[in-house]
Amino acid sequence: MTKDAKTTKRQTAGPKTAERGQTRRSFLQTALAGGAAATTAYLGITHDAFSKESGPIVIGHQCELTGGFSSWGYWHDKCAKAAVKLINEGGGIAGRKLEMAVEDTESNPAAGARKLRSLIQRRKASFIVGSVHSGIMLASIPIATELKIPYFSAGEATEATGSKGTRYSFRTGSDTYALAAAGVPWAMENLGKNWTMIFPDYAWGHSHHEEHRKLIEAAGGKVNDPIAVPLGTKDLVPYLARIPEETEVLFSVFFGALSVAFYTQQKSMRLDEKMKMYSVSGTIEAIDPRDIGGATEGVYFLENFPRPLEFKNDEYHKQFNELMEIDHVYAKEKGSNRVMAKSHAWQSYENFFALKAAIEASGWQRKKDTPGVIEALEGLEMENSLAHPQGAKVLRAEDHSGMIDCYMSRVEDSKFVLKKRIPRAELEAKLPPRYDFRTYKL
Amino acid sequence: MELVIALGMNGIVWGLIIALIALGLSIIFGLLDIINIAHGDFFMVGTVLAWFVLETTGNYWLAFFIVPVIGFAMGALIEYTVIQPIKNAAALSIVATFGLSIILQESVRGTFGAAPTRLVPPIETTVPLFGLEYEVYRLFAALVSIAAIVVFFGFLHRTKMGTWMRAVRFDPETATAMGIPARRVYIVTFAIGFAMAALGGVVAAPITTVDFQAGVDILPFCFMAVIIGGLGNLEGTVAAAVMLAFFEGIMASFFDPTIARIGSLCLMSIVLLIRPHGIFAGATR
Repeated sequence: MTKDAKTTKRQTAGPKTAERGQTRRSFLQTALAGGAAATTAYLGITHDAFSKESGPIVIGHQCELTGGFSSWGYWHDKCAKAAVKLINEGGGIAGRKLEMAVEDTESNPAAGARKLRSLIQRRKASFIVGSVHSGIMLASIPIATELKIPYFSAGEATEATGSKGTRYSFRTGSDTYALAAAGVPWAMENLGKNWTMIFPDYAWGHSHHEEHRKLIEAAGGKVNDPIAVPLGTKDLVPYLARIPEETEVLFSVFFGALSVAFYTQQKSMRLDEKMKMYSVSGTIEAIDPRDIGGATEGVYFLENFPRPLEFKNDEYHKQFNELMEIDHVYAKEKGSNRVMAKSHAWQSYENFFALKAAIEASGWQRKKDTPGVIEALEGLEMENSLAHPQGAKVLRAEDHSGMIDCYMSRVEDSKFVLKKRIPRAELEAKLPPRYDFRTYKL
Repeated sequence: MELVIALGMNGIVWGLIIALIALGLSIIFGLLDIINIAHGDFFMVGTVLAWFVLETTGNYWLAFFIVPVIGFAMGALIEYTVIQPIKNAAALSIVATFGLSIILQESVRGTFGAAPTRLVPPIETTVPLFGLEYEVYRLFAALVSIAAIVVFFGFLHRTKMGTWMRAVRFDPETATAMGIPARRVYIVTFAIGFAMAALGGVVAAPITTVDFQAGVDILPFCFMAVIIGGLGNLEGTVAAAVMLAFFEGIMASFFDPTIARIGSLCLMSIVLLIRPHGIFAGATR
């Protein structure tokens, strides 16, 4: 810069010198310096645009590869990788290669929030396919919003697309609000009207309790005092002993080890002989009923994606199972003991396709175009296809919530047997949007 | 009233299982001054090995004999390779055992997977007890724990190695000067600590779950028992584990179980304020 200035100054110092010293060497020096300056300036101005328009599109995946949720995280990771591979084989997104950056949340909200910043700021992710852990996703939404990056939650706590939702937060799967609306009417009619709820003492469990309680009471049912179990509890007898005798339906929401401990200990106390057991798919995710010695026999589960192929028997479901390398009955991975976390992990697959559709529809080129993607996602219709094997769905414009089909199943001989399919149209009618994020500024 | 008795009794049963595990933690601290963050994972290894024995042999009872022996061998190896090099550095022991904890957890996750599983109890019957359908296996687990604790104290007070362990614990320099092989005593002590936690895992596996993080949640309760019992005080540790669980059980019959847990934590704080060296501090080394 200084040298260039000096050169310029020297050249304009006096007409005499200019007239006299115009040699081939000085001409070349001036031309090269000018050319270099112009090139530098051009690249400086257009660097961002140039690289973004032709380079890969980076989507971050915030995933539970280790820690308490790692049995789910394995499948979210596998789903995401399968989606990226398919998209790139099909020509990428708007002709650009899709690149995935993965960070492990360690199943810990503090680490998850830190890793989200890393994905966006260090690894330059323009969109995030986010965590299935409710605590992590709720810690992540404010960060994604602050950094103006669209964030897809995969957990169930309703707050992500409710009181703590923003214009940047989306969820294609169901939340506790939707699950309650899908399951309670059928369960009230078929299982009983006196309910007790037992759940882990954190956001997900309380969210389920609140949403279910409202609907049960509105339908004339009775809800006994809730039982919140601290995370990490080993001996559940003190909690199970508090379940009132008159309970007709014991609604439980647990995950992982606590879930197995619950079913094991309730079985040994013969609670399942006294009351109907009802739960949501999260409680049995990544667990094969055959591996827990019949402890879940007779339990009703509300699923987001039926475990056996036969209850959504189409080519896309079959192809998806093949991509995941799982069998068509137990969703068990071929050559390993892993059972697919099927009711949740599909989101980490489908969300990439939802983003692809929105990016292409909005003509997104660089970060400043992100509002267009958000607008394209609001109200996005997704057809039953290989990109959306869970089924046709819509990402509702107002509250950014996915409206999907749900499935009421019962474990019989260690297999999931469908009792009722709850179509998304039925749910949409029961679930008026409680928020309209479109009124939030972008 | 029935609920009070039932939960009090369940507290004692659970406390005895915890006592078995915490005792291993206490002897490791008492003799080696090692704050063993990996102790919960020794318990976890016990649950996983119990599952493995059942899967391969189809006989759960074998686990009661095989797993403590494997635990003993693993404990000896760990003492030799991890603990010996950092001996006399208490701060380093926390870092080293924390690392060991991660290695054990991730090794189990990598080998057996992350999904939790269940062991069907070898005794599946229940008995009606004070208004609850109570598992007979839990009563059996309490008996096994009592037997293991009695055998341990018998070993400590009636055998030559036990006498050496007490001597080294009391005054390592003099014990060494008297010809006691302190090095061997350290290895045996750590190995016994691991074996007891592993046996605790075998006993508790059908009650709780088998998974790579099973030890994470059990560790704080064991530390509470060790601290309230008096650091390194073995009899105090057993008494404190049973008392804590009993107290929590009784509280749980009157209040929300979460309040009961908070109550037991408050009890620990009060004990530490009044008797910083634990309830049974008089008998501390």
